[in-house]
Amino acid sequence: MTITASRPLTRDRAAGRPRRRRARWPLAALLAVLSLLTVAPFLAMFVVALSPAGQPTLPAQWPDSLTLDNLSKVLSASGFVKWTVNSLLYSVVSVVVILLTASMAGYAFAKKRFPGRDAMFWTFLATMMVPFQATLIPTFVLVNSLEGVDTFWGLIVPTLANSQAVFLMRQFIMGLPDELFDAAKVDGASELRVYLTIVVPLTKPIMATLGVFVFLWHWNDFLWPLVVGQSDATRTLTVGLTTLRTEEMQLSMLMASATISVIPCLLVFFLLQRYLVNSIAMTGFK
Amino acid sequence: MRHRMRDPVTGLLFVLPVLVLFLIFRIFPSLGAAGMSLTNWNIGGEWSFVGADNYARLLDDVNFWLSLRVTLVYAAIYVPLTVLVALGTALLLNQVVFMRGLFRGMLFLPYVTSFVLAGIVWRWIYEFDGLINGLIGKMGLGPVAFLEEASLVLPALAVVSVWKGFGYSMLILLAGLKSIPGSYLEAATVDGAGPWQKFRRITLPLLKPTLFFVLIIETIGAFQVFDTIYVMTGGGPARATYTLIYGIYDHGFRSFDFGYAATWGVVLFAIVLVVSLIQRRFLDRGNT
Repeated sequence: MTITASRPLTRDRAAGRPRRRRARWPLAALLAVLSLLTVAPFLAMFVVALSPAGQPTLPAQWPDSLTLDNLSKVLSASGFVKWTVNSLLYSVVSVVVILLTASMAGYAFAKKRFPGRDAMFWTFLATMMVPFQATLIPTFVLVNSLEGVDTFWGLIVPTLANSQAVFLMRQFIMGLPDELFDAAKVDGASELRVYLTIVVPLTKPIMATLGVFVFLWHWNDFLWPLVVGQSDATRTLTVGLTTLRTEEMQLSMLMASATISVIPCLLVFFLLQRYLVNSIAMTGFK
Repeated sequence: MRHRMRDPVTGLLFVLPVLVLFLIFRIFPSLGAAGMSLTNWNIGGEWSFVGADNYARLLDDVNFWLSLRVTLVYAAIYVPLTVLVALGTALLLNQVVFMRGLFRGMLFLPYVTSFVLAGIVWRWIYEFDGLINGLIGKMGLGPVAFLEEASLVLPALAVVSVWKGFGYSMLILLAGLKSIPGSYLEAATVDGAGPWQKFRRITLPLLKPTLFFVLIIETIGAFQVFDTIYVMTGGGPARATYTLIYGIYDHGFRSFDFGYAATWGVVLFAIVLVVSLIQRRFLDRGNT
Protein backbone atom coordinates (compact mmCIF):
# COMPACT_ATOMS: atom_id res chain seq x y z
CA MET A 1 0.00 0.00 0.00
CA THR A 2 1.85 3.08 -1.17
CA ILE A 3 0.77 6.55 -2.07
CA THR A 4 2.07 7.58 -5.42
CA ALA A 5 2.29 11.30 -5.90
CA SER A 6 3.87 12.88 -8.91
CA ARG A 7 4.97 15.88 -6.86
CA PRO A 8 6.14 16.09 -3.26
CA LEU A 9 3.28 16.74 -0.86
CA THR A 10 3.46 19.86 1.24
CA ARG A 11 1.42 20.83 4.26
CA ASP A 12 0.52 24.46 3.71
CA ARG A 13 -2.84 24.49 5.46
CA ALA A 14 -3.46 28.22 5.06
CA ALA A 15 -3.20 28.03 1.30
CA GLY A 16 -5.52 25.03 1.18
CA ARG A 17 -8.37 26.60 3.08
CA PRO A 18 -10.08 28.69 0.41
CA ARG A 19 -10.47 25.65 -1.83
CA ARG A 20 -12.03 23.54 0.91
CA ARG A 21 -14.73 26.14 1.35
CA ARG A 22 -16.12 25.32 -2.09
CA ALA A 23 -19.87 24.84 -1.85
CA ARG A 24 -20.95 21.24 -1.36
CA TRP A 25 -24.66 21.76 -1.92
CA PRO A 26 -24.84 19.94 -5.29
CA LEU A 27 -23.41 16.88 -3.56
CA ALA A 28 -25.86 17.28 -0.67
CA ALA A 29 -28.74 17.54 -3.14
CA LEU A 30 -27.60 14.40 -4.94
CA LEU A 31 -27.32 12.57 -1.63
CA ALA A 32 -30.81 13.73 -0.65
CA VAL A 33 -32.26 12.43 -3.93
CA LEU A 34 -30.54 9.06 -3.54
CA SER A 35 -31.71 8.77 0.07
CA LEU A 36 -35.29 9.53 -0.91
CA LEU A 37 -35.16 7.00 -3.76
CA THR A 38 -33.90 4.38 -1.29
CA VAL A 39 -36.79 4.86 1.13
CA ALA A 40 -39.39 5.41 -1.62
CA PRO A 41 -40.36 1.69 -1.85
CA PHE A 42 -41.13 1.72 1.89
CA LEU A 43 -43.16 4.91 1.60
CA ALA A 44 -45.12 3.47 -1.33
CA MET A 45 -45.72 0.29 0.68
CA PHE A 46 -47.03 2.32 3.64
CA VAL A 47 -49.32 4.41 1.43
CA VAL A 48 -50.87 1.33 -0.19
CA ALA A 49 -51.16 -0.42 3.19
CA LEU A 50 -53.06 2.59 4.57
CA SER A 51 -55.33 2.99 1.53
CA PRO A 52 -59.03 2.14 2.02
CA ALA A 53 -59.83 -1.25 0.48
CA GLY A 54 -61.27 -1.19 -3.03
CA GLN A 55 -60.41 2.43 -3.69
CA PRO A 56 -57.83 3.66 -6.20
CA THR A 57 -54.32 4.08 -4.80
CA LEU A 58 -50.73 4.14 -6.08
CA PRO A 59 -49.58 4.09 -8.77
CA ALA A 60 -52.78 5.41 -10.39
CA GLN A 61 -53.31 8.19 -7.85
CA TRP A 62 -52.80 9.15 -4.25
CA PRO A 63 -55.54 7.72 -2.04
CA ASP A 64 -58.20 10.24 -0.98
CA SER A 65 -57.96 9.18 2.65
CA LEU A 66 -55.87 6.91 4.83
CA THR A 67 -57.11 4.22 7.21
CA LEU A 68 -55.75 1.66 9.65
CA ASP A 69 -58.47 -0.85 8.63
CA ASN A 70 -56.14 -3.08 6.62
CA LEU A 71 -53.64 -3.32 9.45
CA SER A 72 -56.27 -4.29 12.00
CA LYS A 73 -57.84 -6.77 9.56
CA VAL A 74 -54.44 -8.45 9.04
CA LEU A 75 -53.85 -8.59 12.79
CA SER A 76 -57.19 -10.32 13.33
CA ALA A 77 -56.37 -13.10 10.84
CA SER A 78 -55.39 -16.07 12.98
CA GLY A 79 -52.72 -17.41 10.61
CA PHE A 80 -50.91 -14.11 10.49
CA VAL A 81 -50.83 -13.75 14.27
CA LYS A 82 -49.51 -17.30 14.63
CA TRP A 83 -46.72 -16.62 12.12
CA THR A 84 -45.76 -13.47 14.02
CA VAL A 85 -45.62 -15.34 17.32
CA ASN A 86 -43.54 -18.07 15.66
CA SER A 87 -41.11 -15.52 14.25
CA LEU A 88 -40.77 -13.90 17.67
CA LEU A 89 -40.09 -17.28 19.29
CA TYR A 90 -37.61 -18.24 16.59
CA SER A 91 -35.75 -14.93 16.99
CA VAL A 92 -35.86 -14.46 20.76
CA VAL A 93 -34.97 -18.05 21.71
CA SER A 94 -32.08 -17.95 19.24
CA VAL A 95 -30.79 -14.66 20.66
CA VAL A 96 -30.83 -15.97 24.23
CA VAL A 97 -29.23 -19.34 23.47
CA ILE A 98 -26.61 -18.00 21.06
CA LEU A 99 -25.57 -15.22 23.45
CA LEU A 100 -25.23 -17.73 26.28
CA THR A 101 -23.40 -20.51 24.41
CA ALA A 102 -21.22 -18.20 22.31
CA SER A 103 -20.07 -16.14 25.31
CA MET A 104 -19.23 -19.30 27.26
CA ALA A 105 -17.31 -20.80 24.34
CA GLY A 106 -15.70 -17.46 23.52
CA TYR A 107 -14.47 -17.16 27.11
CA ALA A 108 -13.01 -20.68 27.08
CA PHE A 109 -11.34 -20.20 23.68
CA ALA A 110 -9.89 -16.86 24.75
CA LYS A 111 -8.78 -17.48 28.32
CA LYS A 112 -8.65 -21.20 29.08
CA ARG A 113 -6.29 -23.94 28.10
CA PHE A 114 -7.66 -27.35 27.36
CA PRO A 115 -6.67 -30.19 25.06
CA GLY A 116 -7.68 -29.65 21.44
CA ARG A 117 -8.59 -26.00 21.94
CA ASP A 118 -6.91 -24.57 18.86
CA ALA A 119 -7.88 -27.47 16.60
CA MET A 120 -11.48 -27.04 17.71
CA PHE A 121 -11.46 -23.29 17.15
CA TRP A 122 -10.04 -23.58 13.66
CA THR A 123 -12.60 -26.25 12.81
CA PHE A 124 -15.33 -23.82 13.86
CA LEU A 125 -13.82 -21.16 11.63
CA ALA A 126 -13.55 -23.61 8.73
CA THR A 127 -17.30 -24.30 8.90
CA MET A 128 -17.82 -20.60 8.07
CA MET A 129 -16.47 -21.44 4.60
CA VAL A 130 -19.31 -23.89 3.95
CA PRO A 131 -22.43 -21.99 2.88
CA PHE A 132 -25.51 -23.14 4.79
CA GLN A 133 -27.31 -23.77 1.50
CA ALA A 134 -24.68 -26.39 0.57
CA THR A 135 -25.62 -28.43 3.65
CA LEU A 136 -29.36 -27.70 3.44
CA ILE A 137 -30.26 -31.21 2.23
CA PRO A 138 -28.28 -33.27 4.78
CA THR A 139 -29.38 -30.93 7.60
CA PHE A 140 -33.01 -31.41 6.56
CA VAL A 141 -32.60 -35.20 6.27
CA LEU A 142 -30.98 -35.27 9.73
CA VAL A 143 -33.75 -33.20 11.32
CA ASN A 144 -36.35 -35.27 9.47
CA SER A 145 -34.89 -38.54 10.78
CA LEU A 146 -35.05 -37.09 14.31
CA GLU A 147 -38.70 -36.24 13.62
CA GLY A 148 -37.99 -32.52 13.93
CA VAL A 149 -39.73 -31.33 10.74
CA ASP A 150 -42.61 -28.98 11.55
CA THR A 151 -41.55 -28.73 15.21
CA PHE A 152 -40.09 -25.76 17.07
CA TRP A 153 -36.91 -27.52 18.08
CA GLY A 154 -36.38 -28.60 14.47
CA LEU A 155 -36.79 -24.99 13.39
CA ILE A 156 -34.56 -23.42 16.03
CA VAL A 157 -31.85 -25.84 17.17
CA PRO A 158 -29.97 -26.30 13.85
CA THR A 159 -29.57 -22.51 13.55
CA LEU A 160 -27.92 -22.18 16.97
CA ALA A 161 -24.51 -23.37 15.72
CA ASN A 162 -23.26 -19.90 14.83
CA SER A 163 -19.53 -19.62 14.17
CA GLN A 164 -19.61 -15.85 13.62
CA ALA A 165 -20.95 -15.37 17.14
CA VAL A 166 -18.31 -17.62 18.74
CA PHE A 167 -15.58 -15.89 16.77
CA LEU A 168 -16.73 -12.40 17.74
CA MET A 169 -17.01 -13.28 21.45
CA ARG A 170 -13.55 -14.90 21.48
CA GLN A 171 -11.93 -11.89 19.81
CA PHE A 172 -13.55 -9.51 22.25
CA ILE A 173 -12.73 -11.51 25.39
CA MET A 174 -9.11 -11.95 24.26
CA GLY A 175 -8.81 -8.18 24.60
CA LEU A 176 -9.74 -8.28 28.31
CA PRO A 177 -6.68 -8.27 30.64
CA ASP A 178 -5.64 -11.69 32.03
CA GLU A 179 -5.06 -10.12 35.46
CA LEU A 180 -8.82 -9.76 35.99
CA PHE A 181 -9.32 -13.50 35.72
CA ASP A 182 -6.17 -14.38 37.69
CA ALA A 183 -7.20 -12.07 40.53
CA ALA A 184 -10.63 -13.66 40.72
CA LYS A 185 -9.02 -17.09 40.84
CA VAL A 186 -6.66 -16.05 43.62
CA ASP A 187 -9.71 -14.86 45.56
CA GLY A 188 -11.11 -18.35 45.20
CA ALA A 189 -13.97 -17.52 42.84
CA SER A 190 -15.54 -20.52 41.11
CA GLU A 191 -15.54 -20.76 37.32
CA LEU A 192 -19.25 -20.05 37.17
CA ARG A 193 -18.73 -17.00 39.34
CA VAL A 194 -15.93 -15.72 37.09
CA TYR A 195 -18.20 -16.14 34.09
CA LEU A 196 -21.16 -14.41 35.73
CA THR A 197 -19.32 -11.57 37.49
CA ILE A 198 -16.50 -10.83 35.04
CA VAL A 199 -17.25 -12.19 31.57
CA VAL A 200 -20.93 -11.28 31.36
CA PRO A 201 -20.71 -7.67 32.65
CA LEU A 202 -17.59 -6.84 30.64
CA THR A 203 -18.95 -8.24 27.39
CA LYS A 204 -22.28 -6.42 27.62
CA PRO A 205 -21.62 -4.02 24.71
CA ILE A 206 -20.55 -6.77 22.32
CA MET A 207 -23.39 -9.01 23.52
CA ALA A 208 -25.90 -6.25 22.79
CA THR A 209 -24.52 -5.84 19.28
CA LEU A 210 -24.49 -9.58 18.69
CA GLY A 211 -28.02 -9.86 20.05
CA VAL A 212 -29.32 -7.27 17.59
CA PHE A 213 -27.70 -9.04 14.66
CA VAL A 214 -28.89 -12.51 15.71
CA PHE A 215 -32.41 -11.10 16.08
CA LEU A 216 -32.37 -9.58 12.60
CA TRP A 217 -30.84 -12.71 11.03
CA HIS A 218 -33.58 -14.88 12.46
CA TRP A 219 -36.47 -12.48 11.99
CA ASN A 220 -35.49 -12.10 8.31
CA ASP A 221 -34.42 -15.74 7.78
CA PHE A 222 -36.21 -17.64 5.02
CA LEU A 223 -34.75 -20.79 3.45
CA TRP A 224 -34.50 -22.96 6.59
CA PRO A 225 -37.93 -21.93 7.96
CA LEU A 226 -39.34 -22.53 4.47
CA VAL A 227 -38.26 -26.18 4.31
CA VAL A 228 -38.74 -27.11 7.97
CA GLY A 229 -41.86 -25.17 8.98
CA GLN A 230 -44.48 -26.84 6.84
CA SER A 231 -47.73 -25.86 8.60
CA ASP A 232 -49.07 -22.75 10.32
CA ALA A 233 -48.00 -24.28 13.65
CA THR A 234 -44.31 -23.56 12.97
CA ARG A 235 -44.42 -21.27 9.92
CA THR A 236 -42.57 -17.99 10.42
CA LEU A 237 -43.67 -14.60 9.15
CA THR A 238 -41.30 -14.50 6.17
CA VAL A 239 -42.56 -17.89 4.97
CA GLY A 240 -46.18 -16.96 5.70
CA LEU A 241 -45.87 -13.76 3.66
CA THR A 242 -44.84 -15.75 0.59
CA THR A 243 -48.07 -17.76 0.81
CA LEU A 244 -50.11 -14.56 0.38
CA ARG A 245 -50.91 -13.87 -3.25
CA THR A 246 -52.44 -10.81 -4.82
CA GLU A 247 -54.70 -13.08 -6.88
CA GLU A 248 -56.47 -14.04 -3.67
CA MET A 249 -56.20 -10.87 -1.62
CA GLN A 250 -56.19 -7.17 -2.26
CA LEU A 251 -52.88 -5.45 -2.75
CA SER A 252 -53.58 -3.14 0.19
CA MET A 253 -53.94 -6.20 2.48
CA LEU A 254 -50.70 -7.70 1.18
CA MET A 255 -48.86 -4.44 1.78
CA ALA A 256 -50.42 -4.16 5.23
CA SER A 257 -49.07 -7.64 6.05
CA ALA A 258 -45.65 -6.66 4.74
CA THR A 259 -45.76 -3.45 6.77
CA ILE A 260 -46.47 -5.30 10.01
CA SER A 261 -43.65 -7.76 9.29
CA VAL A 262 -41.16 -4.92 9.01
CA ILE A 263 -42.13 -3.15 12.26
CA PRO A 264 -39.66 -5.04 14.52
CA CYS A 265 -36.85 -4.29 12.04
CA LEU A 266 -37.81 -0.61 12.02
CA LEU A 267 -37.92 -0.54 15.84
CA VAL A 268 -34.44 -2.06 16.01
CA PHE A 269 -33.33 0.41 13.37
CA PHE A 270 -34.66 3.53 15.08
CA LEU A 271 -33.61 2.54 18.58
CA LEU A 272 -30.21 1.04 17.81
CA GLN A 273 -29.11 2.57 14.52
CA ARG A 274 -25.94 4.13 15.90
CA TYR A 275 -25.04 0.81 17.47
CA LEU A 276 -25.59 -1.18 14.28
CA VAL A 277 -23.69 1.31 12.18
CA ASN A 278 -20.69 1.40 14.52
CA SER A 279 -20.47 -2.36 14.90
CA ILE A 280 -20.55 -2.96 11.15
CA ALA A 281 -17.81 -0.39 10.70
CA MET A 282 -15.69 -1.90 13.49
CA THR A 283 -16.20 -5.64 13.08
CA GLY A 284 -17.38 -6.13 9.50
CA PHE A 285 -20.28 -8.09 10.95
CA LYS A 286 -22.90 -8.98 8.38
CA MET B 1 -0.82 -18.94 35.09
CA ARG B 2 -0.69 -22.37 36.68
CA HIS B 3 -4.38 -22.70 37.35
CA ARG B 4 -5.06 -22.77 33.61
CA MET B 5 -3.00 -25.88 33.15
CA ARG B 6 -4.44 -27.50 36.23
CA ASP B 7 -8.00 -27.48 35.09
CA PRO B 8 -8.66 -28.63 31.53
CA VAL B 9 -12.19 -29.78 32.37
CA THR B 10 -13.89 -26.40 32.91
CA GLY B 11 -12.59 -25.11 29.57
CA LEU B 12 -14.14 -28.09 27.83
CA LEU B 13 -17.36 -27.70 29.80
CA PHE B 14 -17.72 -24.08 28.66
CA VAL B 15 -17.19 -25.09 25.04
CA LEU B 16 -19.38 -28.18 25.28
CA PRO B 17 -22.79 -26.71 24.24
CA VAL B 18 -21.30 -25.05 21.16
CA LEU B 19 -19.23 -28.14 20.42
CA VAL B 20 -22.26 -30.45 20.48
CA LEU B 21 -24.31 -28.07 18.30
CA PHE B 22 -21.49 -27.78 15.79
CA LEU B 23 -20.76 -31.48 15.61
CA ILE B 24 -24.39 -32.36 15.01
CA PHE B 25 -25.65 -29.47 12.88
CA ARG B 26 -22.62 -28.11 11.02
CA ILE B 27 -19.84 -30.66 10.77
CA PHE B 28 -21.94 -33.81 10.44
CA PRO B 29 -24.11 -32.31 7.65
CA SER B 30 -21.01 -30.95 5.87
CA LEU B 31 -19.56 -34.46 5.72
CA GLY B 32 -23.06 -35.82 5.13
CA ALA B 33 -23.42 -33.68 1.99
CA ALA B 34 -20.37 -35.36 0.49
CA GLY B 35 -21.67 -38.81 1.54
CA MET B 36 -25.22 -38.24 0.30
CA SER B 37 -23.98 -37.06 -3.08
CA LEU B 38 -22.72 -40.64 -3.62
CA THR B 39 -26.18 -42.14 -3.01
CA ASN B 40 -29.64 -42.07 -4.55
CA TRP B 41 -31.23 -41.01 -1.23
CA ASN B 42 -34.96 -40.31 -1.58
CA ILE B 43 -37.81 -38.94 0.50
CA GLY B 44 -38.49 -42.31 2.17
CA GLY B 45 -34.94 -42.40 3.51
CA GLU B 46 -34.05 -45.39 1.33
CA TRP B 47 -30.72 -45.26 -0.40
CA SER B 48 -28.04 -47.24 -2.05
CA PHE B 49 -24.51 -46.36 -3.00
CA VAL B 50 -24.28 -45.19 -6.60
CA GLY B 51 -20.65 -44.03 -6.74
CA ALA B 52 -20.08 -41.00 -8.93
CA ASP B 53 -23.33 -41.42 -10.86
CA ASN B 54 -24.79 -38.15 -9.52
CA TYR B 55 -21.72 -36.23 -10.65
CA ALA B 56 -21.89 -37.81 -14.10
CA ARG B 57 -25.57 -36.91 -14.27
CA LEU B 58 -24.76 -33.34 -13.19
CA LEU B 59 -22.19 -32.91 -15.97
CA ASP B 60 -24.79 -34.10 -18.48
CA ASP B 61 -27.58 -31.96 -17.02
CA VAL B 62 -28.37 -28.97 -19.25
CA ASN B 63 -30.16 -27.38 -16.30
CA PHE B 64 -26.99 -27.47 -14.23
CA TRP B 65 -24.96 -25.64 -16.86
CA LEU B 66 -27.82 -23.23 -17.37
CA SER B 67 -28.06 -22.52 -13.64
CA LEU B 68 -24.30 -22.04 -13.43
CA ARG B 69 -24.52 -19.49 -16.24
CA VAL B 70 -27.52 -17.76 -14.62
CA THR B 71 -25.63 -17.54 -11.31
CA LEU B 72 -22.47 -16.17 -12.93
CA VAL B 73 -24.37 -13.63 -15.06
CA TYR B 74 -26.30 -12.52 -11.98
CA ALA B 75 -23.04 -12.14 -10.00
CA ALA B 76 -21.46 -10.24 -12.91
CA ILE B 77 -24.33 -7.73 -12.80
CA TYR B 78 -24.85 -7.59 -9.04
CA VAL B 79 -21.28 -7.33 -7.72
CA PRO B 80 -20.02 -4.32 -9.75
CA LEU B 81 -23.37 -2.56 -9.37
CA THR B 82 -23.55 -2.92 -5.61
CA VAL B 83 -19.89 -1.99 -5.10
CA LEU B 84 -20.32 1.10 -7.28
CA VAL B 85 -23.49 2.21 -5.50
CA ALA B 86 -21.91 1.56 -2.10
CA LEU B 87 -18.73 3.42 -3.04
CA GLY B 88 -20.65 6.33 -4.56
CA THR B 89 -22.89 6.81 -1.55
CA ALA B 90 -19.96 6.35 0.85
CA LEU B 91 -17.99 9.06 -0.98
CA LEU B 92 -21.00 11.38 -0.87
CA LEU B 93 -21.56 10.73 2.84
CA ASN B 94 -17.89 11.43 3.45
CA GLN B 95 -18.14 14.81 1.69
CA VAL B 96 -21.50 16.11 2.80
CA VAL B 97 -21.94 17.33 6.36
CA PHE B 98 -25.49 18.62 5.97
CA MET B 99 -27.92 16.12 7.60
CA ARG B 100 -25.37 13.35 7.16
CA GLY B 101 -26.79 11.13 9.90
CA LEU B 102 -30.27 11.26 8.42
CA PHE B 103 -29.09 10.43 4.90
CA ARG B 104 -26.90 7.61 6.17
CA GLY B 105 -29.87 6.16 8.04
CA MET B 106 -32.16 6.40 5.02
CA LEU B 107 -29.61 4.71 2.76
CA PHE B 108 -28.99 1.96 5.32
CA LEU B 109 -32.66 1.32 6.12
CA PRO B 110 -33.37 -1.50 3.61
CA TYR B 111 -30.48 -3.52 5.07
CA VAL B 112 -32.39 -4.27 8.28
CA THR B 113 -35.40 -5.68 6.41
CA SER B 114 -35.78 -9.12 4.85
CA PHE B 115 -35.20 -10.24 1.28
CA VAL B 116 -38.73 -11.64 1.38
CA LEU B 117 -40.11 -8.18 2.11
CA ALA B 118 -37.88 -6.71 -0.61
CA GLY B 119 -39.22 -9.35 -3.00
CA ILE B 120 -42.86 -8.67 -2.17
CA VAL B 121 -42.56 -4.90 -2.49
CA TRP B 122 -40.46 -4.99 -5.64
CA ARG B 123 -42.70 -7.60 -7.28
CA TRP B 124 -45.40 -4.95 -7.08
CA ILE B 125 -43.01 -2.19 -8.20
CA TYR B 126 -42.16 -4.20 -11.35
CA GLU B 127 -45.68 -5.44 -12.15
CA PHE B 128 -47.69 -4.36 -15.21
CA ASP B 129 -49.98 -2.28 -13.00
CA GLY B 130 -47.18 -1.62 -10.51
CA LEU B 131 -45.30 1.47 -9.44
CA ILE B 132 -42.72 1.86 -12.23
CA ASN B 133 -45.11 1.07 -15.08
CA GLY B 134 -47.66 3.37 -13.47
CA LEU B 135 -45.14 6.21 -13.39
CA ILE B 136 -43.70 5.74 -16.87
CA GLY B 137 -47.21 5.13 -18.19
CA LYS B 138 -48.06 8.71 -17.26
CA MET B 139 -45.21 9.78 -19.51
CA GLY B 140 -46.69 7.64 -22.29
CA LEU B 141 -44.04 4.92 -22.03
CA GLY B 142 -44.14 1.20 -21.37
CA PRO B 143 -45.43 -1.00 -20.00
CA VAL B 144 -42.21 -2.95 -19.46
CA ALA B 145 -42.40 -6.63 -18.44
CA PHE B 146 -39.46 -6.56 -16.04
CA LEU B 147 -40.02 -10.01 -14.57
CA GLU B 148 -41.39 -11.77 -17.66
CA GLU B 149 -38.66 -10.82 -20.11
CA ALA B 150 -35.66 -13.20 -19.96
CA SER B 151 -33.21 -10.42 -20.80
CA LEU B 152 -34.52 -8.02 -18.16
CA VAL B 153 -35.20 -10.30 -15.23
CA LEU B 154 -31.64 -10.80 -13.93
CA PRO B 155 -30.79 -7.08 -13.94
CA ALA B 156 -34.19 -6.43 -12.31
CA LEU B 157 -33.42 -8.95 -9.55
CA ALA B 158 -29.91 -7.55 -9.13
CA VAL B 159 -31.39 -4.09 -8.57
CA VAL B 160 -33.58 -5.47 -5.76
CA SER B 161 -30.59 -7.09 -4.04
CA VAL B 162 -28.50 -3.94 -4.46
CA TRP B 163 -31.30 -1.86 -2.93
CA LYS B 164 -31.66 -4.28 -0.03
CA GLY B 165 -27.96 -4.77 0.69
CA PHE B 166 -25.73 -1.89 -0.43
CA GLY B 167 -26.03 -0.14 2.96
CA TYR B 168 -23.73 -2.75 4.50
CA SER B 169 -20.88 -2.23 2.03
CA MET B 170 -21.51 1.52 2.15
CA LEU B 171 -20.85 1.56 5.91
CA ILE B 172 -17.70 -0.57 5.54
CA LEU B 173 -16.38 1.72 2.79
CA LEU B 174 -17.33 4.83 4.77
CA ALA B 175 -15.28 3.54 7.71
CA GLY B 176 -12.41 2.95 5.28
CA LEU B 177 -12.72 6.50 3.94
CA LYS B 178 -12.76 7.97 7.44
CA SER B 179 -9.49 6.21 8.25
CA ILE B 180 -7.68 8.09 5.46
CA PRO B 181 -5.76 10.94 7.11
CA GLY B 182 -7.21 14.29 6.09
CA SER B 183 -3.74 15.77 5.88
CA TYR B 184 -2.96 13.68 2.77
CA LEU B 185 -5.89 15.15 0.90
CA GLU B 186 -5.23 18.66 2.17
CA ALA B 187 -1.63 18.45 1.05
CA ALA B 188 -2.74 17.31 -2.40
CA THR B 189 -5.18 20.22 -2.57
CA VAL B 190 -2.38 22.60 -1.78
CA ASP B 191 -0.43 21.12 -4.65
CA GLY B 192 -3.33 21.85 -6.95
CA ALA B 193 -4.71 18.34 -7.38
CA GLY B 194 -8.30 18.24 -8.61
CA PRO B 195 -11.04 16.06 -7.05
CA TRP B 196 -10.56 13.27 -9.60
CA GLN B 197 -6.78 13.27 -9.13
CA LYS B 198 -7.16 13.12 -5.37
CA PHE B 199 -9.61 10.23 -5.67
CA ARG B 200 -7.46 8.34 -8.17
CA ARG B 201 -4.09 8.94 -6.49
CA ILE B 202 -4.88 9.00 -2.77
CA THR B 203 -8.35 7.79 -1.84
CA LEU B 204 -8.53 4.76 -4.12
CA PRO B 205 -5.09 3.28 -3.28
CA LEU B 206 -5.69 3.73 0.45
CA LEU B 207 -9.19 2.30 0.20
CA LYS B 208 -8.04 -0.79 -1.71
CA PRO B 209 -8.00 -3.28 1.20
CA THR B 210 -11.52 -2.22 2.20
CA LEU B 211 -12.72 -2.48 -1.39
CA PHE B 212 -11.29 -5.99 -1.63
CA PHE B 213 -13.09 -7.06 1.52
CA VAL B 214 -16.37 -5.68 0.19
CA LEU B 215 -15.81 -7.34 -3.19
CA ILE B 216 -15.28 -10.78 -1.63
CA ILE B 217 -18.26 -10.48 0.73
CA GLU B 218 -20.56 -9.31 -2.06
CA THR B 219 -19.42 -12.04 -4.45
CA ILE B 220 -20.17 -14.74 -1.89
CA GLY B 221 -23.53 -13.02 -1.30
CA ALA B 222 -24.29 -13.05 -5.04
CA PHE B 223 -23.93 -16.85 -5.12
CA GLN B 224 -26.43 -17.21 -2.28
CA VAL B 225 -29.36 -15.31 -3.77
CA PHE B 226 -32.58 -17.26 -3.27
CA ASP B 227 -35.35 -15.48 -1.33
CA THR B 228 -36.13 -12.80 -3.93
CA ILE B 229 -36.13 -15.40 -6.72
CA TYR B 230 -38.51 -17.63 -4.77
CA VAL B 231 -40.86 -14.69 -4.18
CA MET B 232 -40.60 -12.85 -7.49
CA THR B 233 -39.96 -15.32 -10.33
CA GLY B 234 -39.95 -18.91 -9.06
CA GLY B 235 -36.88 -19.57 -11.22
CA GLY B 236 -38.62 -18.36 -14.39
CA PRO B 237 -39.35 -17.14 -16.96
CA ALA B 238 -38.15 -20.28 -18.79
CA ARG B 239 -35.51 -20.88 -16.09
CA ALA B 240 -33.91 -17.47 -16.70
CA THR B 241 -33.49 -17.09 -12.91
CA TYR B 242 -32.82 -20.74 -12.07
CA THR B 243 -29.71 -20.25 -9.89
CA LEU B 244 -27.60 -22.95 -8.27
CA ILE B 245 -29.37 -22.55 -4.94
CA TYR B 246 -32.73 -22.60 -6.65
CA GLY B 247 -31.59 -25.90 -8.20
CA ILE B 248 -30.78 -27.32 -4.76
CA TYR B 249 -34.22 -26.31 -3.52
CA ASP B 250 -35.98 -27.56 -6.64
CA HIS B 251 -34.34 -31.00 -6.67
CA GLY B 252 -34.56 -31.37 -2.90
CA PHE B 253 -38.01 -30.06 -2.06
CA ARG B 254 -39.98 -30.31 -5.29
CA SER B 255 -38.63 -33.63 -6.67
CA PHE B 256 -37.39 -34.95 -3.28
CA ASP B 257 -34.34 -36.28 -5.08
CA PHE B 258 -32.12 -35.74 -2.02
CA GLY B 259 -29.01 -37.53 -3.30
CA TYR B 260 -28.90 -35.45 -6.46
CA ALA B 261 -29.80 -32.21 -4.62
CA ALA B 262 -26.91 -32.87 -2.18
CA THR B 263 -24.63 -33.17 -5.23
CA TRP B 264 -25.70 -29.67 -6.32
CA GLY B 265 -24.86 -28.49 -2.79
CA VAL B 266 -21.37 -29.98 -2.91
CA VAL B 267 -20.76 -28.35 -6.27
CA LEU B 268 -22.06 -25.01 -4.96
CA PHE B 269 -19.59 -25.24 -2.08
CA ALA B 270 -16.74 -26.08 -4.48
CA ILE B 271 -17.61 -23.16 -6.77
CA VAL B 272 -17.88 -20.63 -3.93
CA LEU B 273 -14.58 -21.91 -2.51
CA VAL B 274 -12.77 -21.70 -5.86
CA VAL B 275 -14.14 -18.23 -6.61
CA SER B 276 -13.14 -16.86 -3.21
CA LEU B 277 -9.68 -18.49 -3.40
CA ILE B 278 -9.08 -17.04 -6.87
CA GLN B 279 -10.27 -13.64 -5.71
CA ARG B 280 -8.16 -13.73 -2.59
CA ARG B 281 -5.07 -14.75 -4.53
CA PHE B 282 -5.66 -12.16 -7.21
CA LEU B 283 -6.38 -9.44 -4.67
CA ASP B 284 -3.46 -10.34 -2.39
CA ARG B 285 -1.13 -9.95 -5.34
CA GLY B 286 -2.65 -6.60 -6.18
CA ASN B 287 -2.30 -5.57 -2.58
CA THR B 288 1.43 -6.00 -2.06
